[in-house]
Amino acid sequence: MKLIRSLLPALLVVTLAGPVAAAVSSEAASLAVLASDAGLPEKARACQELGDMGGPKSVAPLAALLNKEHLADYARSGLEGIKDPSAGVALRKALPTLEGRFLAGAVNSLGVRREVAAVPDLQKLALDAKRGVAAEAIASLGMIANRDAAKTLQQVLSGGSADLRVPAAHAALVAAAHLAKVGNVAAARELLESVVKALPPGQLATVAKNQITVLGGKP
Amino acid sequence: MPTFIPASALGRDGKVAPSNRIVVGGIGIGPRGREVLKHFLSQTDVQFVMIADVQEARREVVRVMANRQYNNQDCLKTRDMYEVLARPDIDAVLIATGDRWHALLSMLAAKAGKDIYCEKPCSMTVRESQELADTTNRYGRIFQSGTQRRNVDNFGFAAELARSGKLGKIHTVHAGILPLEESFKWLPAEPEPARDVVDWDRWLGPAPWRPYNKDYVQGRWRGYYDFHGGAALPEWGAHTVDLCQWGASADHTTPISYEADGQTIYGKYANGVKLVMRLAGFKGEGNWVVPGTCPVRFEGDEGWVEAADTGKIAVSSPKLLERGAPKEMAGTDPSKHVRDFLDCVKSRGKPACNADVTRRGHIISHVASIGWRLGRKVEFDPVTETFVNDADANRMCSRARRAPWHA
Repeated sequence: MKLIRSLLPALLVVTLAGPVAAAVSSEAASLAVLASDAGLPEKARACQELGDMGGPKSVAPLAALLNKEHLADYARSGLEGIKDPSAGVALRKALPTLEGRFLAGAVNSLGVRREVAAVPDLQKLALDAKRGVAAEAIASLGMIANRDAAKTLQQVLSGGSADLRVPAAHAALVAAAHLAKVGNVAAARELLESVVKALPPGQLATVAKNQITVLGGKP
Repeated sequence: MPTFIPASALGRDGKVAPSNRIVVGGIGIGPRGREVLKHFLSQTDVQFVMIADVQEARREVVRVMANRQYNNQDCLKTRDMYEVLARPDIDAVLIATGDRWHALLSMLAAKAGKDIYCEKPCSMTVRESQELADTTNRYGRIFQSGTQRRNVDNFGFAAELARSGKLGKIHTVHAGILPLEESFKWLPAEPEPARDVVDWDRWLGPAPWRPYNKDYVQGRWRGYYDFHGGAALPEWGAHTVDLCQWGASADHTTPISYEADGQTIYGKYANGVKLVMRLAGFKGEGNWVVPGTCPVRFEGDEGWVEAADTGKIAVSSPKLLERGAPKEMAGTDPSKHVRDFLDCVKSRGKPACNADVTRRGHIISHVASIGWRLGRKVEFDPVTETFVNDADANRMCSRARRAPWHA
């Protein structure tokens, strides 16, 4: 009985899941749904499908949803999936027009896409407390992890507000891992040393020191 | 007045001194989580101190459960999981929220310096599987996924037969899976309860928004694409594919090709070993020899072995059992797995289902499901962990997280 009870959730997969929808629809069909007066569930799914198979034509219709309640995150799903550079451009262009959760989402998507061109925008947001997404911008700079992004993280670590040093340290650890992976060990070490200098002894500083050791340097 | 110090506070009378106890918090503890929690609570070196759950009914059940165990009123409850992560006295967390939160919460816990026991499936996508392992390793945290079967006797016995060469050269491993399917429908909207009763926004977390319906929060969220990654393949694949990795001595890699034929997916490792992910179920589906859920079968050129959740085992020759059959233990029993985790929290060793093992086991399930969705053969590079010359498949490796949730 106990075995059956514990497996019940998995049993529900079989009994409750709706029809299989593995068939891939076309970009045109999904765009037509977005342009129609279809309901939220249909538009939400169309955004996800465009993330799977959309191209440049899908970018503008998706970008138009970045400030729409309940659809903005689905639109980001679409834009994160579209590899064409126009998707990154659309996310960047939307930044000045977005606020709150919508802005945080677009900032995160730029990080996930590793949009190098967005680094100046993210630098501004990281240093602008009024826009309210400094921590998210810092995290995205950590994901992008190019030289300029690393410089901004170092700037926040050395002279930024105290409440941003911890997010900057976490982002620096992510960035350092990426830099080391692509062979830029010196930049990775420099970033990790900034973390050690900026933070009091504790878990984060220890993690940074350990990473320096792994890279072959003395902490 | 003399001061009386209870023997338990000094680690006497069969108790572990408070300073030597592992302080644990729980996040999102429903029925399965409580089954695992029971085994945490029964350990004398564990002190469970706080439960965070977005559902008041669930957090109260857990609070009462812990307080009854300790005969006090010390366990705290909260709606906000960040309160658990912020407590410096908490060493480790038990996470059993549902798939949508598992990877993200595990990463947040690692960043907060906690060790992590996380129920499975631990990720929604290939990318989350990678991020989860990278993050827990970067922060030096102990991670154990709730795929306890590596610590269940009959599965361990079967893997040992395969790994030790007693079956000859292994050529095929079989993983039982549930039917592959995913639903994109939304249940009808219902009025949202008060935030202190069910915090729907927090329940959704990084999953995309949809209107509240009580079915979801009562555990019937499986099968929906937005909440259940990998077309349900990781639901059992997290266990059975992982066991096949173990039996095939392939923990360091993944298959390099995957091809679906209906509900069966054929994977192939670079060394030629085949991984067959095929239907199993609750009613004997799939013609497995051993009865029970989550079956696996390891085949070598000199014999085979099969094991399932009933604790039973079947072998091609009685000779394979000449040193005795394994003790029958339910495949869902996490007792040894929890102990393995706690021992590693103390020793800083690697538990059976650590972050690296979990990464590859989960990636295989997600990759196989992507091939199934595309309806064609896919090739995968185990080193770069990307599909080979396959942009369509590669763009299915990630999903956007709902803002503002990020790692």
